[in-house]
Amino acid sequence: MHAPTHPRRPRWRVPVGALAVAALALSMSGCSSAQSDVVTLDFFQFKPEAVQDFADIVEGFEAENPGIRVIQNSVPDPDTAIRTLLVKNKVPDVLTLNVNGNYGELARACIFADLDAEPVVDTVNPAVQQIVQDLGTCAASGEDEINALPFASNASGILYNPDIFAANGVEVPTTWTELIAAADTFTANGVDPFYCTMKDAWTAGPAFVNLGGTLAPDGFFDDLRAEGSNLDSVSFSKDFDEAMQKEVELFSYCQENFASRDYNAGNKAFAEGASAMYLQGSYAIPAIRANNADAPIGSFPYPVTDDADDRVVVSGVDVGIMVGRDTPHPVEAQKFVDYLMSPDVVEGYTAAQSTFSPLENAAPNSDPALAGLEPYFTDGTIIGFIDHQIPASIPLVNLLQSMVITGDSETFLRSLDSEWSKVAARTATQRQGK
Amino acid sequence: MTTTADRATTPVGTTPPPTTPPRAKSRFSRTPRTFYWMVVPALVIFFGLHTVPVISGMFFSLTNYAGYGTWDLVGLSNYVNLFQDSRVLSSYAFTFGFAIVSTILVNVIALAIALGLNARIKFKTAFRGVFFIPYILAILIIGYVFNYLFANSFPAIFTSLGFDGLSGNILADPNFAWIGIVIVTVWQAAAFNVILYLAGLQTIPGELYEAAGIDGASSWRQFRSITFPLIGAYFTINMVLSFKSFLQVFDQIVALTNGGPGTSTESIAMVIYRGGFQGGEYGYQMANAVVYLIVIILVSFIQLRFLQRREASI
Amino acid sequence: MSTLTNNEAFVADTAVDAARPRRRRRLDGGNGGINWWLTALIAVCSLTVLIPLYFTVVTALKTPDQLGGTGFELPTSIRWENFADAYQLTNFPRALLNTALITVGAVVLTLATNSLVAYAIARNMHKKFFKGLYFYFLAAIFVPFPIIMLPVVKETALLGIDTPVGLILLYTVYGLSFNIFIFVAYINSIPIELEEAARMDGASTWGVFRKVIFPLLAPMNATVGILTCVWAWNDFLLPLVVLSDPSAQTLPLAQFIFQGQFNTNYTVAFASYLMALAPLLVVYMIAQKWVVSGVMRGSVK
Repeated sequence: MHAPTHPRRPRWRVPVGALAVAALALSMSGCSSAQSDVVTLDFFQFKPEAVQDFADIVEGFEAENPGIRVIQNSVPDPDTAIRTLLVKNKVPDVLTLNVNGNYGELARACIFADLDAEPVVDTVNPAVQQIVQDLGTCAASGEDEINALPFASNASGILYNPDIFAANGVEVPTTWTELIAAADTFTANGVDPFYCTMKDAWTAGPAFVNLGGTLAPDGFFDDLRAEGSNLDSVSFSKDFDEAMQKEVELFSYCQENFASRDYNAGNKAFAEGASAMYLQGSYAIPAIRANNADAPIGSFPYPVTDDADDRVVVSGVDVGIMVGRDTPHPVEAQKFVDYLMSPDVVEGYTAAQSTFSPLENAAPNSDPALAGLEPYFTDGTIIGFIDHQIPASIPLVNLLQSMVITGDSETFLRSLDSEWSKVAARTATQRQGK
Repeated sequence: MTTTADRATTPVGTTPPPTTPPRAKSRFSRTPRTFYWMVVPALVIFFGLHTVPVISGMFFSLTNYAGYGTWDLVGLSNYVNLFQDSRVLSSYAFTFGFAIVSTILVNVIALAIALGLNARIKFKTAFRGVFFIPYILAILIIGYVFNYLFANSFPAIFTSLGFDGLSGNILADPNFAWIGIVIVTVWQAAAFNVILYLAGLQTIPGELYEAAGIDGASSWRQFRSITFPLIGAYFTINMVLSFKSFLQVFDQIVALTNGGPGTSTESIAMVIYRGGFQGGEYGYQMANAVVYLIVIILVSFIQLRFLQRREASI
Repeated sequence: MSTLTNNEAFVADTAVDAARPRRRRRLDGGNGGINWWLTALIAVCSLTVLIPLYFTVVTALKTPDQLGGTGFELPTSIRWENFADAYQLTNFPRALLNTALITVGAVVLTLATNSLVAYAIARNMHKKFFKGLYFYFLAAIFVPFPIIMLPVVKETALLGIDTPVGLILLYTVYGLSFNIFIFVAYINSIPIELEEAARMDGASTWGVFRKVIFPLLAPMNATVGILTCVWAWNDFLLPLVVLSDPSAQTLPLAQFIFQGQFNTNYTVAFASYLMALAPLLVVYMIAQKWVVSGVMRGSVK
């Protein structure tokens, strides 16, 4: 009984091996392009609600440009997906991303191409472009580049039900005192002033960005960053006190059980007229209408102070367009970007998704629900979302959630300061662009 | 007649007695080369696809890498910062408490159900299929359904029964949200453990029970003297593995509370993933992950020792 | 070890007793084998599973404006188009094919290889190398995934295996730790005499494994098969980070489309999840019969 000097491979290994090889061959053949003269662009698209809109746009583009194919990659979990693509050094050719703090970090790391020299840049409303620039740009060439073009903007304000306002004889408030008085009137008449949805922590964010953004001193975040981890001269506790007390006051008018209601329940409730006002922005309008297509909706900016002229609208770039820095097809990618930023395409998307057009000479959005916020956008009286300035590693919305549920703004401010200083201490080196 | 489960207790943590009697050793001494061939390819691939990444991840814990762009070595400062971070420390406290409670509950419930499914009941196959369903349900479904049940259905039921104290959404209460998460986690995890326990129970020959029945032993006595000792190995495995996997809870937290209300239900895995990948603090959270790894190994080792000693004493 | 002798003695004693004529007291109370009380109890417990499932099915048939209330109401108008919408939005056939390929590949490769490694380790635990290997593989069970996530992403991209085939390999390799653990435990209970007999008949080590051990592993193979199948089918994270080509998206990835930036399209999402669930359930129903019958065969010696 002699063991063989080399093993006889069991018979079933061969078919399994063949299967593996066949599958490998199959998967690799799928990667090669069909024809060598057609350029294929990899289009990273982050917004699930807009997949069909972009599919239509891509179709239109491909009809006009037969030599270019665009493959829309509607990505699950875009934050993780973009990071893994970066790790793999497979930055897409054209991307859409939500222009927020994460975008700012990526831009500072010089992931995106510089679009400064492109003519399409001049068609953009400067105030909107400024919001994009404020988040961060690549500084490799010595001056600030333009790393993203805004494609669709949103606006954060207060949504209200015009029918309920009329039924209770309440006018749209232009000062803080009027807002509180309106809330009191509604309460006295048995109507919930606000429908709050604190099961979803992020819904405490809109009030934060509006109140905090308007009341924060100029250059607050730059000073905060310059301080490092010792918050001596500026801090949230010192400079956000009034804003947070106002937020707590607003949320004291919430309906019962607001801590267990979530965003979906809120959209449905507001659509059915459960409250007079709703602390959400333009992006909630499609969701509200999905519950009731005829829901009466109006909007107005937060009257943060008692001076009606202080009012601004917080606006963010919901969809920004970028080009990968080292894309192998810069010319085709630019063609696609130019197409995307053309007035017809932008306006088509704006109408479909209830957003604002970022183009300078665009016709104002005619949706009556947005009529209260529209003039501010066209005039450029907008500020960015300040929560984009707070690093994502700080659980901002969770802390906000605690604050509005407990009503304790001091603990919130202290916790926020403490988290900020911890992160500042951890960021041993500032990330510089290459 | 051989009993199959005892041998399972031997490998881990104790010096295993030789599985072959000495006289057979010489017969096998000429075949080891084949055995080497059986394991070496797996070893090489495993090393490449698992160990190398682990070492790599551990290396990054000594840097300030954000997941992209440039990075520098920062030595042990990530670890120093870690122990001063109250958010991280409270996530450890929460996760441990959660894991202990869930492990005990899951194993008791899964064993009970497996016993039931193994007994002489009607529609056995159908019931086995039913109890498997939670395991294959997508987490989004479970999250939505239970969020809805906790927010609407349960409060309504309890209020109508007169328990006004339970009329709120348990997931919105910072002190008790973890109980809601435990309920859902146990509900889903019991399915997996039922399979393992069923496999274990089915290794116990039916003749043992018959013999015991003839002898007049009650069901509880049979469980205590036959079932429990013989599935001791499975029990140990299940306890250690379920504790390990509950320490890594992530999906259920995200689906049910997202770490809220406030930061009261943040688990370690959630803090690592959120802070490391979406928060851009990859290097720092890798330090967290390394500490996490050490903690898991230590705890599992202690648990294994304790349970095996208890097994041996039965 | 003492457990073994205790039970053998216990069984031996009772066997002797059984030889004496005695009135047999039946466990089942004389019902011909069915314990109805227990059946009822299990049925009640199964309600905890069936109620959420009912919830899921009912929601999948509604329109978004019907969501609300207690959630248990039957839909006022059934919207079968939810399934058609789900089918189209997720590109269901392609995603299903991708998922099926990866899952089947992972299960086949796992069953073909993991028990082999476990066998080699189990039969050589007295040798330092194999014992060390056993603990080396086991230690990996405790490694949390975030540690290896980014390095694995980079590695698979570098090696060119950021494809479905690469995923199959990853599932097999990452399952190795747990599967070796349970296979070794199981193999240790297979008496060595069977292999000795085969060797005496001239079988090589491979032959012994193929002809003697592998058939006996049927119940364990079924268990490992089910677990691997469910894992690969429902897994979201590994396909998300490893796959580079969007056309290789698996079902869980494709279904993410329902989770909008701000709100979720629950009705269509649930329809989609139900469609993805059905094959798994069928597989489990079939596979779990093997677990039962295999063990019954194996325990009668």
